[in-house]
This record gives sequence, C-alpha cells and structure tokens, in this order.
Amino acid sequence: SSASVSIESNTTQFDLQGYWTSLRKEINQNLDQAIPIQYPEKIYEAMRYSTLADGAKRAPPVMCVAACELFGVNRLAAFPTACALEMVHAASLIHDDLPCMDDAPSRRGQPSNHTIYGVDMAILAGDALFPLGFHHIVHNTPKDLVPERRLLRVVAEIARTVGSTGMAAGQFLDLNSSSSSSSISSAIEFIQEKKFGELAQCSAVCGGLLAGAEDEEVERLRRYGRAVGVLYQVVDDILKAKSGDGALKKERGGKSYVGVYGVDKAMEKAEELRDEAKKELGGFEKYGEAVLPLYGFVDYAADRGFSVG
Amino acid sequence: DEEESNTKPTFDFKSYMVQKAISVNQALDASVPLKEPAKIHESMRYSLLAGGKRVRPVLCLAACELVGGNESMAMPAACAVEMIHTMSLIHDDLPCMDNDDLRRGKPTNHIVYGESIAVLAGDALLAFAFEHIAVATPTNVHPSRIVRAIGELAKVIGGEGLVAGQVVDISSEGNSEVGLKELEFIHVHKTAKLLEGSVVLGAILGGGSDDEVERLRRYARDIGLLFQVVDDILDVTKSSQELGKTAGKDLVADKVTYPKLMGIEKSREFAEKLNEEAKEQLVGFDPVKAAPLIALANYIAYRQN
Repeated sequence: SSASVSIESNTTQFDLQGYWTSLRKEINQNLDQAIPIQYPEKIYEAMRYSTLADGAKRAPPVMCVAACELFGVNRLAAFPTACALEMVHAASLIHDDLPCMDDAPSRRGQPSNHTIYGVDMAILAGDALFPLGFHHIVHNTPKDLVPERRLLRVVAEIARTVGSTGMAAGQFLDLNSSSSSSSISSAIEFIQEKKFGELAQCSAVCGGLLAGAEDEEVERLRRYGRAVGVLYQVVDDILKAKSGDGALKKERGGKSYVGVYGVDKAMEKAEELRDEAKKELGGFEKYGEAVLPLYGFVDYAADRGFSVG
Repeated sequence: DEEESNTKPTFDFKSYMVQKAISVNQALDASVPLKEPAKIHESMRYSLLAGGKRVRPVLCLAACELVGGNESMAMPAACAVEMIHTMSLIHDDLPCMDNDDLRRGKPTNHIVYGESIAVLAGDALLAFAFEHIAVATPTNVHPSRIVRAIGELAKVIGGEGLVAGQVVDISSEGNSEVGLKELEFIHVHKTAKLLEGSVVLGAILGGGSDDEVERLRRYARDIGLLFQVVDDILDVTKSSQELGKTAGKDLVADKVTYPKLMGIEKSREFAEKLNEEAKEQLVGFDPVKAAPLIALANYIAYRQN
C-alpha cells in the first residue's frame, strides 16, 4: 500500500545510528550495575569479562526495546529484559567457545573467556549468567508497566530460545554436521536459523510481549526477527568471503550459505530475507513512525551503513 | 501432647517417599519428551531419569502441601529443581571440573554422550527448568507467585548460590588454609541453597504467607547443612561397601570436612543441633501435614549411607 511505501521511504531519514548508540550506552550502564563484583570475585570477573566486552553491539537489546516502543510502551518496561538477553547471549557464546565445542581462542577481538579464566570458570560463568538473566527480569521490570502474566511469557520465550530446541540445538547440529557431508545443504538452513536467527527472533518477540501486543502481532515480530537475524549472518559471511582473509573458512568450516552455495546465491538469499522482513513490517503501518527503527535494522543487517561499538 | 502421639506413629515415611517419587518420576518423564535433535534430549533424559531419591522435589511438594496447596501446584517447580540438580551434577562431573566417570552407579553423561553434548544438555536443562515453571504451573496459582518462585530459583542457583559454592570448592581443593567459614560457605551454597529453593518454591506456590515462607526457609537451610555434616561423618566412619562409594575419598583428595576441622564428636553434636533447629521451625503448622518434613529431617540426620 502507499502508506507502507511512504513509511519505508522514511527509513533513510530515520537516524538508526543515533537511536542505537544512545540505547547501547544505557544498556551498557545497566549491565555494569547488574553484575557487581562480590565474593567469590573470580566468577563475577569472568561473568563481567564476557558480558561487558567492549566490542558488543547490543543488537538484541536494542531490537527488544524498539519492538516494545513500537506499541507505544515506555522503553523502561523493556530494559531489564534487554539486559537479560545480553546475559544469556554471553552465556551461550562462552560455552560455544569452549575447547570441547568450537575451541575458539578469541571472541570480539579479545581472548575467549576460558583462555583467561580457565575452562572450569568459563562453564560456571555461563551457568551463572543464565539464571542471572531471569533474576534480572523478575526483579527489575517495573510492575506498573508490565503485568506478571506477561513476564511469565517472556521468561518462557527466552528459556526456549537458549534451550534444547533453540540455540543449543543449533550449536549441537553445527558441531555434528561435517562440511563434507551430503546432507549439509539441508541442515545448513536449520543451523543458521537456530544459531543466528533465534536470538533476534526472541528479542523482537519479547519486546512485543512486554508491551502487551496481540498474539498475531507477536507472531509477526517472530518472523521479522528471524529474517533479520539470519540476514545479518548471511551478509556477515558474504563480507568475510569477499575480504578473502580465510577467516570465514576457519571459523565456520564452510558451514554457511556462502560455504555451501557460493557468494552469488548467498547474495540472492540476503535480498529474499530483506524483502521477507520488510513485508512483515508492512503489517505494523498503523503504528506510524514508531516502526521506523525496525525498518532501520533490516537495512543495517543488509547494508552495514554505519558501525556500532 | 496427645495429638502428637496419635499422628507420629501413623505416618509411614517410607511409603510416603515411594509414592511421591513415583509421581515425580512420571512428571519428569513427561516433561522432557524426545524431540529433535534426539541426541541432546536423550542426554538430558539419561541423567534426569537416572533415579535417586528425589529428595528435592519431595521437599518442594511437601512444603506446598504444608501451607495448604495441593501437589499439582508445585509439581512443575518440583521437576524444575530436579532439572537444576541434574544439570549441576552433569557439569560438575566434567573432566575440567571434578572429572568423575561414575554417578549413581552409571557412567556420567559426558562419558556416554561426549563433553560437548554434556555441556549443552546441562545448559538446556537449566533453561528448561525456568520454561517449565513458567508454562506448566496450573492457572489456579496466581502469576505473581509464579514470578516470585522464578526469582527465588534464579537466585539459589547462580553466582549467589550453587555456582558460588562450586567456585569456592574448586579453589579450596588442596588448600590447607581452608577454615570452618569457607567450608560452611561451600556446603551452604553447593547443597543447602537448592534444598532451600526447593522448600521455598513449594511454600510460595502453595500460597504460604511471608512468615510461613521464611520459617520454611530456615528449616531448609538447617537440613541442607545437616545433610553435609552427616555426609562428612559417614565418610570417615563407614566402609566403602556400606556407603556404595569410595569412603575417605574426601580425606584423600585433601578436601576439608567437618570431622577434620572439629572432630567426630563435635560434628555429631552439631548435626543434632541442626536437626533440632530445623524441627523447631515446623512448630505451629498442622502436625499431620508437617509429618513428612519432620521425617525428612530425621531421615537426613540418621541415615546410614
């Protein structure tokens, strides 16, 4: 419709970078306060090291806040959940990097958690960050803005996202599918969605749930978030492949759209995902300009028009 | 007291435990179905359904019933505390932690499924515990109580609970400077916190008043510490055969224990004091409904293995 075209054409005027940068600062301050160092100090240092890492873009929390604001609800309703998303995200990255998993020596340009604190502390830091996320939500979400019934849905959504059918499933399949296997192309879509689409999906959904969105709207946010999350990763892989530094092959062992289908096909896939995400946002035109940040994320994921962090 | 003398002998602790464990095992079995990817869910089920006395879930159900709730109100939470207990065992057994090959007489999770799946299965159980309480607790429990229960569970298992205990335990190994204060910190956090969580979750979900919840919290802290003191005593006084595990292992591994720090006699007195304190918290509750919790404290105090 013409309305959606005009809103979409406004995305070039919306200052996503400014929106993102100021939210990111607030999220970082909140996270800093949410994990004070106490006895036994070592575990809190390990938790802070990964959660407060300098290079973190805070995309999941910013998307969560934007989805909440779409429905005209104060962003304060979303801050605790936004921080929790970063805590559980950090926990799963710490565990993904372990020697028995991806065996990654670095993360966001810094030594990975177990390299600094040891494998035992890295496992325990992850084990502590998951519950801290849930604790943060139930203790800090303003009661006057969010009824408890909604909080239960948020907790369930986050738990399912990181659990055995969500991100843990993606990590499992990633570890257990070899790049030479013939079934890789069928598995790759699943892995991409589980490892990279789940968190974006969860972030958008939680924002909607906190704001009291209708079920149909929540499902729309779910499809939108999934498309954006996978889009971001596909483009990331394309950029790495184009830069030709071999980092992609080393990191992902060919287990990506680019690794399986090549750069050209991956670029087509990226365009499909961009369209898919924007098509979903067309359903939110009644909320006017409040939808602009969500359009902005789609173009950011595809074009990387600026840098964050 | 006539009422007491009438109720005490009629309570059959053994059949109570058997009955409750059957309900809990059925609920646990149904809570984690074999979804895709099957390997992770098999691994979760392998450790979750490995048996055990289900002391934590039973405490949760008994506390719920003590304050006037019914079993179904606390069953998802009872399953959740067992999921958390199981995940902490899976992660503690890993080679980079305690490096144990056997648990409850069976090969440990990572021996059967490999380390990466053991880490993921533990993470998945941790997350699922929260999902299960949030989704499966019946609608006759007010959401504010469910939210409060989730907050309690999160607190007793993270950096202020289970994890803190494991961290101090790891760093105290082989350290001869460890004193009574650290030892108590380890046991309170590794063992007592989750028992406390089990009881408190049951009391909250069953509709207990703040005062009732706090009394039951103190009861649980006492029996949690009691559990460990008795464990330490048995370790030096019983043979491996009687215990079904390697006796004196803690002494060999240079772990601090109560008998090492205060001697056997003082340890026994301490255990007796904790048991008395625990039972004092139950005075004033309906004696029939309190009977299981009194019996559980006695069971923990006087068990022989």
